Amino acid sequence: MPLKWVFNWQPNAGSTVNSQILNEVSQCVESINGVKEGRWKATLTYYKPMLRDQALAAEFPRDFLGISLPEQPNKYYFILRGHKIVLEADSSIQLIMEKLQSYKSRVALNFEGFQYQLGDFQLRVGKVVPTHSENLRGIVMEVEYLPISSLEKSRQLMEEFVDIWQDAVSKRSLPGHFLHIEPNFSDYGLADHYTSQHTAVQYAHVMAQLIASVQAGQAARN
Amino acid sequence: MLQQHQHHLQSAATAAPPLPPPATSTPPSSTAGEAPPKQVALAMDRLGHAARLIADIRLGADRLLEALFVAAQPHQSSKPLHLFRQEDDSMRQHLQDLRTIGRQLEESGVLNESLRSRSNSWGLHMPLVCPDGAVVAYAWKRQLAGQAGASAVDRTRLALKAFTDQKRRFFPHLDDEQNGQGTDSVSKKHRSSQALLEDNQDNLSDCKTLSDVLTSLEKDMPNLKVLTYERLDWLKRASSLPASANDNTMEVPKHNFHSSSILRPGPQNVVSMDKVAVIELLFPSVFRAVVSLHPAGSTDPDSVAFFSPDEGGSYIHARGSSVYHVYRHITEHAAVALQYFLGIRSETALHSLLHWICSYRSLFTDICSKCGRLLAMEKQSALLLPPVHHPYRTFSPSKASSTQAIASTGDQSCSAPRAYHIGCFSDEA
Repeated sequence: MPLKWVFNWQPNAGSTVNSQILNEVSQCVESINGVKEGRWKATLTYYKPMLRDQALAAEFPRDFLGISLPEQPNKYYFILRGHKIVLEADSSIQLIMEKLQSYKSRVALNFEGFQYQLGDFQLRVGKVVPTHSENLRGIVMEVEYLPISSLEKSRQLMEEFVDIWQDAVSKRSLPGHFLHIEPNFSDYGLADHYTSQHTAVQYAHVMAQLIASVQAGQAARN
Repeated sequence: MLQQHQHHLQSAATAAPPLPPPATSTPPSSTAGEAPPKQVALAMDRLGHAARLIADIRLGADRLLEALFVAAQPHQSSKPLHLFRQEDDSMRQHLQDLRTIGRQLEESGVLNESLRSRSNSWGLHMPLVCPDGAVVAYAWKRQLAGQAGASAVDRTRLALKAFTDQKRRFFPHLDDEQNGQGTDSVSKKHRSSQALLEDNQDNLSDCKTLSDVLTSLEKDMPNLKVLTYERLDWLKRASSLPASANDNTMEVPKHNFHSSSILRPGPQNVVSMDKVAVIELLFPSVFRAVVSLHPAGSTDPDSVAFFSPDEGGSYIHARGSSVYHVYRHITEHAAVALQYFLGIRSETALHSLLHWICSYRSLFTDICSKCGRLLAMEKQSALLLPPVHHPYRTFSPSKASSTQAIASTGDQSCSAPRAYHIGCFSDEA
């Protein structure tokens, strides 16, 4: 399947994310001839173990994530970042978990926004909001190059695209920038050929960055 | 009735009276006071009218037949009879009108060549209806502007222009001789392509058969998968693509071309060379190219198309079009390159084409030789594309295979094939 890079909005020190930035970014995509195509939405859930003795919770993996992706409506992905495990399951697993009551949702976040077509590229810009809330927590962007699936063969091309993109964004003097840090996919047992599991891993890493920058922001304010 | 009148017109045209008919030796009074341009205009008008009448007659004949057919159906009212009578009347009127027009045309000399010898015709000739029905109209352009009479010279000029435009678009390499670029550059190019030809001839003299061409290709390109198919087998293969998501688990295709397999027993897996009509070139993760041969088993390529290695479906064939812009642009460019190779030397066209296709193996890493970037915004479509144009005029298969060897020994300076963005490509390349 086509390869994709996921970006996280990194606000400058002392500034926070707001919906104005989201608007500016969307306009930026249109300025490089992106054509708005439709909406997209992904949902990420942090799970916590339901234990009789909550004190034992520390023995369990801290970040157990589940994510549903729009391109795979029948699948659900689990990631244990600390253990470098990613699993693709049928979407009915969520029903099973509910019945088992072994893990419950701690926090659920939506990534949602618009999708743009730029020739052989597809861009998605989305806000990060908790479900049942309009509180903007972050901004993510997906850049997908449709013709090929090899991460290695496309690296140079994607880097050039990022350069072109950063050029366009820098003209708007926004208080921050998009950051892409590629996870080490081979740690998760993933190959060069791109799959949705790669996407799930990228989102898990994006969440880690997001939390880190929010905590850093809070620490700076305190 | 219809045939009668067509025959009438035709016989009038073929009639070559020994004595000019009295109507033309003393021009009828109606035409005496009119200058030749007006006469020509009138004649064209009448011819047009005649054509319309003939069309009406044809339609009327259809309606008559229809009325007869309806009448043949059971339980019909008097409606068909009424239709028939109506049609009959209008047909008779049309035929009468046609007779009149025919007479007028005859009198004005359209249906025979009797006016050609007239000296006061201002250089104009009356339109002539040829025996096969074609109308040859000669007229002063200025006088008949807006009417049907474009001169033969104009028509020829238009046809030549259309032809030249098409030629320039699809066969740009043939333009060299006609462009006034100066004899130096033209003759230099000619000499350099001659030198390439001589160079190639040594290397390609042993690449006569399809089997030779494919073997030498496999030898030169280690990463390449070359597969051959009979024409119908390709359709089955295309519909089952992509074979799998991962190259490692790709099933061994049924018709794998390996020179060694010809020696192995069990020839059911090998397509016999004289039936090969489709060649598939796959550079994993980069592209899949499909080349069609016509006739099967020959070394004559007739079309080529590029696709994503992940694309699949019955639209994947040598005349098909990828869903991705980058491969569509390469396919367009490849069509021109193919014509060039066929034009230069058709015996080596397949060899050159296949090696030229292989120059795209590093499509997503070769930067443009002009601007030094990988991605550029193509002006017409406003899309970001990698360099999709590889020059074909200066392309030499022997050079291409030797650079492959150099690349493997680590010398990077000349290993990359020359590539250009659409906007950076110029015909001199």
